[in-house]
Amino acid sequence: MSDLAQGFAQALRLLTGGGEVWAIILRTLAISGLASLLAMLVGVPCGYAIARRSFPGRTAVLALVNTGMGMPPVVIGLVVWLLLTRSGPLGGLDLIYTRRAMVLAQFLIATPLVVGFTAASVQALPPQLPDLLVSLGASRLRMLWILSREAKLGLLAAVMAGFGAIVSEVGASMTVGGNLRDSTRVLTTAIVTETGRGNLPVALALGIVLLLLAFLVNLGLTLLQQRHAR
Amino acid sequence: MDVTLEGVTIVRGGRPVLEIPALSFLSGTTTAVFGPNGSGKTTLLRVVGGLERPRSGTVRIGGEAPDRPDGTAPRHAFAFQEQVFLGGTVRRNLDLALELHHVPPDERLVRVAEVSGECGISAVLDRSARQLSCGEAQRVNLARALALRAPVTLLDEPLSGIDRLARTHLLDDLPRLFATFATTTILVTHDREEAFRLADQLVILVDGRVRAAGSKGAVYRDPRDAVVAALLGYTILPHAGGCIAVPPGGLRLGAAAAPTFTLHVERVVDMGDHPHVVGRVGDVRVDIRLGPSEALPAQGERVRVGATAFAALA
Repeated sequence: MSDLAQGFAQALRLLTGGGEVWAIILRTLAISGLASLLAMLVGVPCGYAIARRSFPGRTAVLALVNTGMGMPPVVIGLVVWLLLTRSGPLGGLDLIYTRRAMVLAQFLIATPLVVGFTAASVQALPPQLPDLLVSLGASRLRMLWILSREAKLGLLAAVMAGFGAIVSEVGASMTVGGNLRDSTRVLTTAIVTETGRGNLPVALALGIVLLLLAFLVNLGLTLLQQRHAR
Repeated sequence: MDVTLEGVTIVRGGRPVLEIPALSFLSGTTTAVFGPNGSGKTTLLRVVGGLERPRSGTVRIGGEAPDRPDGTAPRHAFAFQEQVFLGGTVRRNLDLALELHHVPPDERLVRVAEVSGECGISAVLDRSARQLSCGEAQRVNLARALALRAPVTLLDEPLSGIDRLARTHLLDDLPRLFATFATTTILVTHDREEAFRLADQLVILVDGRVRAAGSKGAVYRDPRDAVVAALLGYTILPHAGGCIAVPPGGLRLGAAAAPTFTLHVERVVDMGDHPHVVGRVGDVRVDIRLGPSEALPAQGERVRVGATAFAALA
């Protein structure tokens, strides 16, 4: 119990002390935020298409997506590392141990989650809804907008699941980012570092900061999700 | 606006579900497309509404194809059998339909008030559309289509899934609503009473093919074959090597009318104000409504019945 209390005190000290911890927080937000945004841009249309269209191999694709939802981040990290490492097929891009490599890995982790949640929430809509909108003469764009509003609960759940998964994962970020101080160190890798050094109160403090961050982001999204919801 | 179909075929899973060489719905008429379940009625309506493209043939509404450029309001309004609503209030659902038909905001207010008054849904305008009773939901579903005042109004089973009382009220209200809001109406039903109460024209669809079409009186008086006759409520009885179709109410107990048949009485049902005799002539089920003072036959008895009117079938 006293360890936990110590952790809270330390967290407060870190946050008010300014400096490195804020840089790490902002870096974490930027990397995971960008990865989530990209995952939404790709995942929502894909999930919509899987839910609404029938094509050969649709069930297989859905099974693949659902598997991807439970993929260990460290495996994805390893694959991205093999691709980006100097001697790998994409080594020429010189991305390994950069924030962009981390965004790529986190994007790959979050996308199946977004696709899966989107497909499920679109499939939960009344199946005749698109027909209704077509019969009313809605343009394609307008139809997508209206359907997204109808599926809002599920779509925001998709963002929260995606963001939650990548802001809290450590394996892929460590593998492809390298946990370089002032460059690719994020909250989770910083926690690993401090734990390794035996700085348990600092590690715990960083953990509390991470939880707080995740809570605030999800609070915002939940407020958006529950607005006008019955 | 006239609606015409020419050489329309729809194939699903290798099986033709609709084959219509030529069919037109004239401007200003109300037509019931009537047939058993699975006869292709809804498919026909969806083809006219541009929701389904025929494999071959053309559909024209006022001379033009039903599907219009992206974002252009169609010239038809469609009420689906499944009462499907967007989340939110009844008012939002009505308003959005009008908005998608490019009705300006001021006029939308007027039209929503008007149609909800006429359809009897003013009291539920601010309720959630997905939490209505079946009867209310059906009225809202119809109101949303009627509010558009489209040249062609398409209604799929407008009285399905509602209780008897709500259905009775709606059957009374619909002709007036059609007169106020609709010009050319095509409605789909599997119920003979609905078809005759609501429409002036009748199209009988069986297995994807039009078996009879025309004014309801003409179609009723001239049932061309046994399938159409049975759908129209006729009793089909074997006679003189062929078949005759006896209209509802055309069979009487006793041998006063000719031709006569032998009825094997299975049940006598007391309907309160009058009894019904249910039995068989050969293999054919026969149901005769008796007058309140007629003598009742006994169960298992064989009695003579005569047809007061009939049509010979080809």
